[in-house]
Amino acid sequence: MDGIHDLGGKQGFGPIDVTHDGPPFSTEWEARMYAISQTTGGDDWTIDWFRHVIELLPPDIYLNEPYFQRWFMVYATGLVQSGVTTRAEILGGVAAAKETPPRDQTLAEVLEEVRQSDRSFARTATDSAVFQPRQKVRTLRHGHSDHTRLPGYARGATGEILTHHGAHALPDEGAKGREAAEHLYTVVFSAPELWGDEADPRDTVTLDLWESYLVAA
Amino acid sequence: MATFDADEAARLHRDLHSHLPSDPALRVKTLESLMVERGFASEATLDAWVEAYSDHIGPKRGARVIARAWTDPAFKARLLEDAAVAIKDFGFEGSATAHLKAVENTDTRHNMVVCTLCSCYPFALLGMSPAWYKSFEYRARAVREPRKVLAEFGVSLPDGVDIRVWDSTAELRYLVIPQRPDGTKGWDENRLAAIVTRNSMIGTDRDLDPGKA
Repeated sequence: MDGIHDLGGKQGFGPIDVTHDGPPFSTEWEARMYAISQTTGGDDWTIDWFRHVIELLPPDIYLNEPYFQRWFMVYATGLVQSGVTTRAEILGGVAAAKETPPRDQTLAEVLEEVRQSDRSFARTATDSAVFQPRQKVRTLRHGHSDHTRLPGYARGATGEILTHHGAHALPDEGAKGREAAEHLYTVVFSAPELWGDEADPRDTVTLDLWESYLVAA
Repeated sequence: MATFDADEAARLHRDLHSHLPSDPALRVKTLESLMVERGFASEATLDAWVEAYSDHIGPKRGARVIARAWTDPAFKARLLEDAAVAIKDFGFEGSATAHLKAVENTDTRHNMVVCTLCSCYPFALLGMSPAWYKSFEYRARAVREPRKVLAEFGVSLPDGVDIRVWDSTAELRYLVIPQRPDGTKGWDENRLAAIVTRNSMIGTDRDLDPGKA
């Protein structure tokens, strides 16, 4: 979708505050929100649905809420929508029916759970790859209104296949709770191809793009 | 069951947001009590997650991997070949590292990582991402004017250096291998790891300072 989240190349944001050298979480509520996100959610949520729900925030909310408040909104909206909780519970903070949490996780158990969560998104390919490394490709001129990972700034652009990664789960389907395997490539573009003469011809940008985002150039 | 209904999600966002308290801490506290009452996790479990990412999982992990790559050519070759597997030597694999790719800075190439669409980051290896990495400014500008962005971080590149910006649009995650600075001959891994900055592993720092060890 052509949402506000698709920020690559947007102008007018001004200088970057590069000074972040503080603790990993800048506020207590950020830390709590991150912990909630690691222990809570709908059984059938996919990473792509999670990202799509963030993208579906109205632009004014997206731009004005801090990063982890956007995550909060995913949980608030997503949990209600999944029937895990209700609107009244989210706004009131009191559960209609209380359940007992699983026993406490120790720090060691948490660290081990993190270690074991290197979930692969590689999938068995159902057909052979259309493109090969070094081949010239062009990205689609148009996206679509649902979740997709072809940013606006890289549409209708010609680049070259750098690497073929085999098939990975396609986010466009994952955001609908469905599985589809599709070949994934890293594609390299020259900076002037994306940004015109203002860009430095020495520079390049790579994107990881699925096969259906590409045509032969 | 999720409905995966985008219009409904957008409607709920507006509805809930207009009724939520404005204080972000209060919102999260409310959600936390609810999730505890609903039996997802206890307070003690949430504390353990916060502790894990506050004190144990962070850029020091990545720095150890870089230091080993500098001192052990066979490890470096494996890291460049398949970083997701190589970091298992340390037990640093986990959230968002299953498709980790290491990219190496050279005398003629500088690598820089961004996620323009969200804020993808190799959490298990580098910990929580810095605020600037998630900022609209960095996400918007890194792909378009990387040299100006680097200048804001105090990095200027010699003429012969090109920039490759990696926009993490899939589940691949990137780790920049910075160059080992001169003046570190004979240093052991621990001493080397101490000079590897978080920003150098994302690509917004380049010339590491041996004086920082």
